[in-house]
Amino acid sequence: MNNIELSDSKLVSLYIKGNEESFEVLLNRYKSKVFTNIYLIVKDTYIAEDLTQDTFIKAIKTLRSGRYNEEGKFKPWVLRIAHNLAIDHFRRNKRYPTIVMEDGSNVFNTLEFSEAPYENFQVQEDTKKKLRSFIEELPENQREVILMRHYQEMSFQDIAESTDVSINTALGRMRYALINLRKKMKQHKIAYDSNIYPT
Amino acid sequence: MIQTFTQLDLIRFIYNETTNEQHRNIELALLCNNELMEEYKSLKLTVNSLHKVSYTPSNSTIENILNYSKSSNLSSV
Repeated sequence: MNNIELSDSKLVSLYIKGNEESFEVLLNRYKSKVFTNIYLIVKDTYIAEDLTQDTFIKAIKTLRSGRYNEEGKFKPWVLRIAHNLAIDHFRRNKRYPTIVMEDGSNVFNTLEFSEAPYENFQVQEDTKKKLRSFIEELPENQREVILMRHYQEMSFQDIAESTDVSINTALGRMRYALINLRKKMKQHKIAYDSNIYPT
Repeated sequence: MIQTFTQLDLIRFIYNETTNEQHRNIELALLCNNELMEEYKSLKLTVNSLHKVSYTPSNSTIENILNYSKSSNLSSV
């Protein structure tokens, strides 16, 4: 299936008619956004995995039952399901769980990266690991704005509203986050990727 | 040169959240100000590095979801 050509609305329509492949396209299209949305609230990858599964299963049930009436707006609908499930979980537990994993590894160990064929694989992997740890080391409010802007594709206005700060505060947090990451990259001699140098 | 925008506007520029007029003004300022251009390049490259990272659930979670979808499709036939 050519998922570039098909809109969410078309994929939903095909799925409701029984086309399984169309749901797989939707899942691949939004799994990262859903996962990130949940992770930002529960801050635990294991719980985020479970709630991601719950989110899509709830979406499947609604689509199969014929109760879906979002007029083609699948993305905000599925993200709202994810958000509500994460908030419900948070309220049930009445506190944020810790980020430390059972094996002592950090939460970013479950992250995946896009491939870059021009780099040596091992160097690339090492760079990714360092980048993950740098993001994790950022102050919470700076890490949050990076996650929201980069992985949830929220605008700075949306981030400001979501975190109850002014847009200048959100922009300032992003600026400091980028500066801090840049410093860490320099300290650890992580080379910038010249293939993505701005034109 | 009179700076008509702030460092925060540079962040907006990098993330394409400026108006067309702001965008043109910042582009002009970057061409006229080497220090500002270096700052822009540095921030932009850091942003681009972040594009390598994405959060995603595990393959087993994806398989569970797809298996549920298939089983629910069969049961509805």
